[in-house]
Amino acid sequence: MSDIQLYPDGEQRRRIMDFIMAAGQTLLENGAEVFRVEQTMQIMARSLHLREFHVYVLTNGIFASAGTAEISEVRNVPDRTIHLGRVAAVNELSRELAEGRVGLAEAELQLAAARRIPFPGAAAQILSGTVGSAAFALMFGGGLAEAAAAALAGCTVSVYLWACRRLPALFLKLTGAGLITLVCILACGVLAASVNHAAIGALMILTPGVAFTMSIRDFVKGDYLSGTIRLIDAVLVAACLACGAGLVLRVHTLLTGVTVV
Amino acid sequence: MTGAQLFELLRQFLLGGVGTLCFGMLFGIPRPCYLACAATGAVGWLTYELAVMLGVGAVTANLLAVIPLTLLARLFAIGLKAPVTVFLLCGIFPLVPGAGIYYTAYYFIQNDNVQMAASAADTVKIAAALAIGISLVLGLPLPQQKKRP
Repeated sequence: MSDIQLYPDGEQRRRIMDFIMAAGQTLLENGAEVFRVEQTMQIMARSLHLREFHVYVLTNGIFASAGTAEISEVRNVPDRTIHLGRVAAVNELSRELAEGRVGLAEAELQLAAARRIPFPGAAAQILSGTVGSAAFALMFGGGLAEAAAAALAGCTVSVYLWACRRLPALFLKLTGAGLITLVCILACGVLAASVNHAAIGALMILTPGVAFTMSIRDFVKGDYLSGTIRLIDAVLVAACLACGAGLVLRVHTLLTGVTVV
Repeated sequence: MTGAQLFELLRQFLLGGVGTLCFGMLFGIPRPCYLACAATGAVGWLTYELAVMLGVGAVTANLLAVIPLTLLARLFAIGLKAPVTVFLLCGIFPLVPGAGIYYTAYYFIQNDNVQMAASAADTVKIAAALAIGISLVLGLPLPQQKKRP
């Protein structure tokens, strides 16, 4: 069943290289850490008998060569999202390849299928945004009134993020944070709750927790360049959130003369 | 430990699980990993709350919490044959100082330098604690690692 050749010819080598690059790109685009992308690509190359395979991965690019540099490819990965289901699927594929359970043609089909695993639907995203916001408001010391305000803000911002998902990410974060703060001020005025606790619960949807974790993990693994890129990403996102939230709070203070705590 | 404290811990345990699961769903984790992912986050957050309740500082509490969390993530990764990232990234979400960076930036634009320095220092310390905890546990060798053919 296996169409894996022990000594692949030139055409076959190029096909294998394309496959490995596509697998690496899928991993990187969907939130795998740099170390895992390198490791998975190397395991795949060994399983498919692609010799002298060398790869260097950054947060936003993959550089690889095979043979005595007769094949070399560069992939630019400017857009990254988080879809751990796809990461797990590619990981499973590399395990199957290493155990010799699938051939190249089958692996290519499986990779294409992994790349097409859909994101959770709008309803699921909005529901988890709402419940997650309320849970985090409670975890960070809020009461039931704060949780209710956070749930409302989380629901609103989830709908907004879904409806405007084509817009640039940083713009979405800035306006999303403003929206959350606005909803929280309004809701907390009605519920007599603390705006601060409610807002931080809903803001957890937007906070760069993932970028920050990945940055830490890259640093720990010794990928300092990738760690720095992710750290800058996290800081920029946090600055956007702060600007969005700060702007709304400042306008509120100017209009009503009341400083929100 | 009083009954009220136990109830509070149970509440936080459940909240941690729910919060983690919600973010796991947003990150599109595979369906069989839902429960394991929630458990990872809940155990991490429970340890953190317990440590804080016993009077440990926030930074040490983060370090103490991330150790069982990462251990659990590794166990689930082996058991469910999924990458550690699936459990670690979601499970650590309640601990990771995403809010800390936000507050730092917020005080920065509000021109409140004292508060900014305080939250920046906290964020860096917690990040270091998490980094130490993660690398401690991920650095442990696997007892019976199978050699790849």
